[in-house]
Amino acid sequence: MDFQLKPEYNSEKNCWEIAVKGEIDIYNSSNVKDYLSNIVQERPCDVYMDCSELEYIDSTGLGALVAIVKKVKNNGSNMYILNTKPNVEKVFKITNLDKVFIMK
Amino acid sequence: MQEKNITKEPEIIELTLPVNSAYVSSARLTASSIANRLGFNIDEIEDIKAAVSEACILMISQCIKAAETNFHLQFNLYNNYILINLSSNIKNVDISSIDNEELGMKVIQTLMPEVKFESENDIFKISMKKSK
Repeated sequence: MDFQLKPEYNSEKNCWEIAVKGEIDIYNSSNVKDYLSNIVQERPCDVYMDCSELEYIDSTGLGALVAIVKKVKNNGSNMYILNTKPNVEKVFKITNLDKVFIMK
Repeated sequence: MQEKNITKEPEIIELTLPVNSAYVSSARLTASSIANRLGFNIDEIEDIKAAVSEACILMISQCIKAAETNFHLQFNLYNNYILINLSSNIKNVDISSIDNEELGMKVIQTLMPEVKFESENDIFKISMKKSK
């Protein structure tokens, strides 16, 4: 499945708005982690991740996002996970990561 | 075309996968298709997909440690349930070292009502069962 990560910096709100499409799994999670890590390092601020087109995430994908949320929180900012599909929301809840991110 | 009904004897579908993360999505898609064929509902299909994916990740990590290049994924299709076995030729896996608090394990244990890990006769095996 095609995977896309579209980050846009919103200068008015001083935040990253990242649209994610497709699947984050063991095959691409390492790249996702490196890519997002560079972004939040380049411009530390809140991160809003729109997951309306995220079809699936596995434990390695969750691990990648945990690494990012740690960096974001170290900068005094927050990471928001938005518009998750039911199956994606379910894995956040099973792993208790719905308490680590701000889910909306 | 007339379909054969699933009888008491399970229908078996087997895949041999290389230890390559690129093919975990193939396992996931196969699991989804088979679960759909068995009549699981959408939520259950998602659960089976996710559990198969996590079990593949666990199997791949054990295979890498043992320098094993392939593992087997077997779907046993019964009337009211599916039994999924993953196995590889890996000696002496310490089952107690598998961390139940690890994210993938939490997903497997939550989504599949019956999960078993075995290390016998130089085979490491993960079995998962889910009923309709």
